[in-house]
Amino acid sequence: MAKDAKFREEALGQVDDMLAPGQTFASIDRDITDLVLTKKAPKAWWVALFVSGILLGFLMLAITGLFFYGLGIWGINAPVGWGIAIVNMVWWIGIGHAGTLISAILFLFGQDWRVSINRFAEAMTIFAVSAAGLFPVLHLGRPWLVYWFFPYPNTLGMWPQFRSPLMWDVFAITAYVLTSAMFWYLGMIPDLAAMRDRAKLKIQKVLYGIHALGWRGSALHWHRYEVAYTLFAGLATPLVVSVHSIVALDFATSVIPGWHTTIFPPYFVAGAVFSGFAMVLTLLIPIRRVYRLEKFITLRHIDNMAKIMFANGLIVFYGYLNEVFFGWYSAHEFEMYMIWNRMTGPYAWSFWALIFCNGVVPQLLWLKRIRTHTIALFIISIIINIGMWLERFVIVVTSLHRDFLPSSWGMYMPTFWDWALYLGSIGFFAFALLLFIRWVPMISIFEVKEVNHKHNH
Amino acid sequence: MEKIGKRGLGVGLVFGVLAIVGAVTQPAAFYQAYLLGYLFWLAIALGSLVTVMIHHVAGGAWLLVGRRIMEAAIRTLPLLAVLFIPVLLGMRYLYVWSIPEVMEADRYLQMKEIYLNVPFFVGRAILYFAVWIGLGWALTKWSYLQDSTKDPLLNQRMRIASGAGIVAYVLTATFASFDWMMSIDPHWFSSIYGPIFFVSQGLSALCFLLIVLVKLARYEPLSGAVTDDRYHSLGKWLFAAIMLWAYLMFSQFLIIWSGNLPEHIAWYQRRIGSEWKVLALLLTLLHFFLPFIILLSRFVKRKAGILFKIAIGLLIMRYLDLFWLIVPDLHEGDFVVHWLDFVVPIALGGIWLSVFARTLKDRPLLVLHDPRFEDLLKKEEGGRHDE
Repeated sequence: MAKDAKFREEALGQVDDMLAPGQTFASIDRDITDLVLTKKAPKAWWVALFVSGILLGFLMLAITGLFFYGLGIWGINAPVGWGIAIVNMVWWIGIGHAGTLISAILFLFGQDWRVSINRFAEAMTIFAVSAAGLFPVLHLGRPWLVYWFFPYPNTLGMWPQFRSPLMWDVFAITAYVLTSAMFWYLGMIPDLAAMRDRAKLKIQKVLYGIHALGWRGSALHWHRYEVAYTLFAGLATPLVVSVHSIVALDFATSVIPGWHTTIFPPYFVAGAVFSGFAMVLTLLIPIRRVYRLEKFITLRHIDNMAKIMFANGLIVFYGYLNEVFFGWYSAHEFEMYMIWNRMTGPYAWSFWALIFCNGVVPQLLWLKRIRTHTIALFIISIIINIGMWLERFVIVVTSLHRDFLPSSWGMYMPTFWDWALYLGSIGFFAFALLLFIRWVPMISIFEVKEVNHKHNH
Repeated sequence: MEKIGKRGLGVGLVFGVLAIVGAVTQPAAFYQAYLLGYLFWLAIALGSLVTVMIHHVAGGAWLLVGRRIMEAAIRTLPLLAVLFIPVLLGMRYLYVWSIPEVMEADRYLQMKEIYLNVPFFVGRAILYFAVWIGLGWALTKWSYLQDSTKDPLLNQRMRIASGAGIVAYVLTATFASFDWMMSIDPHWFSSIYGPIFFVSQGLSALCFLLIVLVKLARYEPLSGAVTDDRYHSLGKWLFAAIMLWAYLMFSQFLIIWSGNLPEHIAWYQRRIGSEWKVLALLLTLLHFFLPFIILLSRFVKRKAGILFKIAIGLLIMRYLDLFWLIVPDLHEGDFVVHWLDFVVPIALGGIWLSVFARTLKDRPLLVLHDPRFEDLLKKEEGGRHDE
């Protein structure tokens, strides 16, 4: 009978169990909280912390250099006024999208499997969006005047330009960071209380106790919690779409060939989800191995994530084909030249590398064998991360460096300082994420229990 | 259903005669109306095809009770392929680029001639229909086969075919939208046009499904199977489809408006810089805001009666949307409404509905032996809630 059920599940395309069998409430509690409360950090964690600490040093260096010398130390100049700082910003924001998609949209659609990965993915969102926020602020030239973005009455008589999508970005991204952070924290409260109750050391008890906000798990608490969580999920869902759509509009509302195209908003959103899931896989596959989380993050999770990533990858690839077709169909001199220049110009390497990373390699994901093979998937996810970075590079740099008048053409190459800031942002992201997995339960304990109760009993 | 079939045929024939009279006396108006009506009914069949494929790939219970209805719509695709012939006959009235003199006089059109020429246009149409009919035939056949063999492995086959099928559908539907609609103004282009086209098709199909489902749910065997939960999940999809439609339409508008380039903005000038703006406003309100606000409520998504009305309203809006997309280009932005614009779509609809009704009758209305359906029934008997 059991074998029969397994066969049917397979026919329906489901891989593995939602959670490994044989778990109880107590064992789930113990397995997840011990990682933080009693177990020593694994060696790999220390190594990772050390490396990300060095990268974090680059961030300090890059910012100090920038403040000291000014924007001239970056590679940007006319005609390429947006260099890899903007590439990095878009890349990081895109990465953040997987977290919100998993925590909000999959929640609204009743997808149980999200519970093993949502906490981690949401943490990733917050750190990624924070890393993204660094770039536009530093790009201002006078970052100490960043508050000028906000509409407030002032003696300068200055008011933001609300018709500019760059302005919408300020609001969209701020709203996104705040909502994600609150959503993440709200979802963590019951678990922080569980940590408080299981903590042995006084300091742990006090700290988790403060952050648990007096949660006692009464029926009333749970009721309020459920209502609040659903509301937050509803609020976060449009943000997934709006943030990256507005980032797309930063480009599309201009009249630069290669930027001014109507497919950009949905194509950017799909690209964001694509890169976000790639990043979740890049991070979770090694963490799952190091922390022995196979019980909670089963092959079904891996397979499902790979599927969502693949679907979005196909949409992105559709976007590329679309751009090429319209480059030709437009019968418009500048549009045609733009696409020709992308494919054969001085930056052709980046275009073809992009097609390889985001168009060709993901086709392997048609195969279930690949989707459930963690090492293969890990490599593919890294290639996709690179591909998504290249995509933004192609959009930003190749469109700007040759636009209309050949006399105003130019080349762009990032300098040491550009790269230092990029590496530094990776350091910041990794460092924060490592602290997160050390200090709070990276898997949602109570939600896993709920699913375990539903499926394994 | 049989009654609708017969009545549909009657209406189709009566209006068909009127339409033929129109075709003889006013060919330009007739072909325009024909294209409108044709694309309206085609959207239901093609939207059903892609919705069924999405269901096979994504899983879940949401389409299990409605799948046979959509499958019947898919099986009308061969009929729709035949009904495409008049569009080919009327090409010179619809697509200016098919007139050699126009082509000769226009340097920019000549650059597109490799793509925009009559033989290739016909060849592409044949390819599109071959892909759609082939996919539809395989998927509906396997689904029917499962009724007798009860083989769960058929689900695997349908899933794999659907995965590749969605890719094939998206590519063919994209180019079909360029060929049949976008090239009415051969100078204009918008890269989001394909997605708008197929999202609209999905929306049309969902509305049609809801209408038929609500009507049939009064009778066996659907009366037991169509619960409020089923309506709720379909209501969610409808809600999502409306939002997606509005999102895509608004993105296109905002980008073109903001760029304000001569080669793009003319298309909108014909549509909102003229009397057509009334229709644009109507679409914004009734194709998006009103249904959006109503469908926000969980209560509404579970009420068959309200969903039925929303679906009818939205289908009317679907027609008006096509009108807004197609007609202004054929009259250089002048506001022209012809009696044939209503007669021909109704004639086509009558014929299509009668064939649909007959197709629906041939096969059981429920996919009783889909393992997911069996699970669902078991769960509901157990008294557990399933969203």
